[in-house]
Formats: sequence, structure tokens, C-alpha cells
Amino acid sequence: MKTLLRFIQKYSNFLLFLLLETIAITFIAQGSSYQKSRIIGLNRQVTGYIFSKVDGAREYLSLKGVNQQLVDENLELRNRLDRISGQMDSTIVISEFTKPYHYFYVPSRIVHNSVFKQYNYITLNKGKKQGVFKDMGVISDHGLVGIVLESSRNFATVIPIINRDFRLSVKIKSNNYAGILRWEGESPLYAVLNEIPFHLEIPKGDTILTSGFSSIFPEGIEVGIIESYSLEKGNFYDIRVKLSTNFQSLFHVNVIRNYKHEEQQNLEDRIR
Amino acid sequence: MYILTRNIVRFFVVILIQVLVMDNVMINGYMVPYVYLLFILLMPFETPRWIQLLSGFMLGMGIDLFENTPGMHTAATVMVVFIRPYLLNLLAPRDGYESETFPRIHYYGFHWFLKYTLIIVVIHHFMLFYLEVFQLKEFLSTLLRVILSSILSASTIVLSQYFVFRK
Repeated sequence: MKTLLRFIQKYSNFLLFLLLETIAITFIAQGSSYQKSRIIGLNRQVTGYIFSKVDGAREYLSLKGVNQQLVDENLELRNRLDRISGQMDSTIVISEFTKPYHYFYVPSRIVHNSVFKQYNYITLNKGKKQGVFKDMGVISDHGLVGIVLESSRNFATVIPIINRDFRLSVKIKSNNYAGILRWEGESPLYAVLNEIPFHLEIPKGDTILTSGFSSIFPEGIEVGIIESYSLEKGNFYDIRVKLSTNFQSLFHVNVIRNYKHEEQQNLEDRIR
Repeated sequence: MYILTRNIVRFFVVILIQVLVMDNVMINGYMVPYVYLLFILLMPFETPRWIQLLSGFMLGMGIDLFENTPGMHTAATVMVVFIRPYLLNLLAPRDGYESETFPRIHYYGFHWFLKYTLIIVVIHHFMLFYLEVFQLKEFLSTLLRVILSSILSASTIVLSQYFVFRK
């Protein structure tokens, strides 16, 4: 007993070091489940608050760019409206609008964003109070951004395409073939599309869209453009996709709320 | 007492500077200056080892919480805090460290501080970046990131000695 105590006393610093290092490694090993734990949820409130305070300055500096973006979007919407109103007669309009609507968008601002890490995350200034919950899709004006990982009362953490844990089912526009979009941690501008079988012809420059297989995103949201492809191993292509969203200059995004998400989820769970 | 308060204030200041300023300073996707190591580097020589370890742990946790990373900064920071006393012994000038001095350029000169900073920063970044990737598949590209980021962090830290911590 005495020798044990002496041992502990002699190596107390080393033992403390081992203990602290073990705690840290445990966090790492738990990975994304750590992200969902209660402590982190509480922390999200605190860090979100600090980030949103400082963000005011950043937002002011970027006002010009945001303005231009809004003008462009406005123009595009107006053009689309003109096109529609020309060809629609009022009965169609009425039947379109009386349909129970499926998706609802929550406009939101990014308060914190990382781009150059392996596991990037985005913090939004909308949370449960504003109707942002886990597993909702997030898009920008240019294309897909990510999926809400977890939300607290006033903030939400989003796992963007440029995170190694991100997976999404997408399809190629021209031939409708679906594959899995992943990110390999190199450049925030590109992602990789897998599981497209080798016998298909890949149209370079074609658009990649969401497949609509999951209830998170509606079908046909732009994800990126095929930049190049290779057939290195196995029977599948490695397709390099240039992402439509520029994560480095992202300020405003929309969170998609799908009113039928639960219904679809329940059905799918029951089958399983 | 004065030294203690100064270190506590420094603890919070380096975290805030890191997450609010430095994380936005990223150069071509490879380099992030991790200046929060300044807190570790400037800790007084006589600080008890267990306080060094615990404060290193809390510093790492603080950065991890803001960066949304699980434990990576904590692991790397605790590691360099553990190594630091041995390194200081190794780098000690012939007649040892004088009392009432701190590990700074002002007392021990540019060469000594550069060596000290570089070794700590490289060990920290090596551990951090490989933990982040958590596989040896991209060994070389990660190594490149370690080297480039280390250069950036070390030079930012050394420069700060001339502009912020002059005395």
C-alpha cells in the first residue's frame, strides 16, 4: 500500500497527463455522437451568442455583396413569374395554390462558418424557437448547403457538404442515375460522387441535383457541376463535382421544413 | 498575484483571439495560425506541473467547444503541455533560467524563443492534424499541412512578441 502511494505520488503528473489525454481521446472516438450530447447543446447557446455578437461587424462589411445577391435573385424570380403568368390560366393557378403545401423555408443567417477543416460546421442564428429542427435541409441561393445536425433554442449547427461525415443521395440531371455525394477533405470547392456504375456515359459539365429520395430535400435542388471523372478502382466512377455553393462567402441560407417529413419517415421506419 | 491574474486574463484573450480573429485568417486551405499556444508558451517556469496540465486541458476544451471539434485540440494541447518542462530543460542556457524571468524573447533572445516555439508548435500541429484526419491514407498531404501551418503559427507567435508582449 505504501509503495503504491509512493508510486502514485512520484508519477502523479504523468498519471494526470494520461487521464486528461484519455478523456480527450474518448471525445474524439465518440465523434459525431459527442456533437449531439447535452453539454455541447448548452455550449451551442453560449458560443452561438458570442459569434452572433461579433458577426455584426462582418455582416456590415459584406453588405454590398449581399445586396447584389438579392438584386440578382429578385430579377430571376421576376423573370420566372413573367414566364409562368403568361402561360397559366386562373383555374390552374387556383388549383396550384389550394394544394396543401409541402415545403416551407425558414430564412436564416450564418453566424459562424469554418471552411478549411476536415470536419467543418456552420452555426445558424435560428433554432427550435423558429422551427429549425434536426435533419432539416439547408440551401443557399446557389445550391445545396447541408443538413441540420442539432438545434438549441436559438441556434442550430449544420453539417455542410464539406464535412467528412456528410453523405447525400444525388442524381445526374441528364440520365437520372443516382449516387452518393461525399467530401474527401481536400478543397472546399469540390466534392466526390460515387456509386455511378462504369457502363454509363458521364456527361461532363452536366448538373448534379438532389435525388429527392430522402425527405430532407425536395427533388431537383442544384448541388454542383461535373468537373471530371476517373475509373480507378472497381466498377464505379469517381466523379469530381464542382459545388454550386461557395462556402467561403456564405451569409444567408434557407432551412427547408418539410411538412410531410414525419409521415414519410414513419412509413419507412415501419417497413424496416 | 499579479502574474496569476495576468495569466488568467491571457487564457481568455487567446481563446477569443483564436476563434474570432485567427480562424478567419486562412491562407489557401492549408494554413491556419493557431496562436492560442501563446498561453502555453508564456506560462511561467515555476508553475506547478498539475496546474500546467489542467490549464492546458481547459484551454484545449475551450478551443474545441468553439471550433466544434471533439477533443482534438485538447489532446494536442495536453501533449505539448506535458512535453514543455522537458523541452525547457533541454533548451536551458548554460547557467539555467534566472528567477523572475519568463520564457520570452525579451529575456532569452530571438534564437532561443524561435527554437522553443517551433518545437512546441510542430509537435502540437502534428498531433492535431493527424487526429483530425484519423487515418494514414493521406499521410503526405497532411504532412504538408502540418509544415505550412506550423510555419505560419510559429511566425505569428514570434511576431506577437515584438508587437504585443514587448516587455
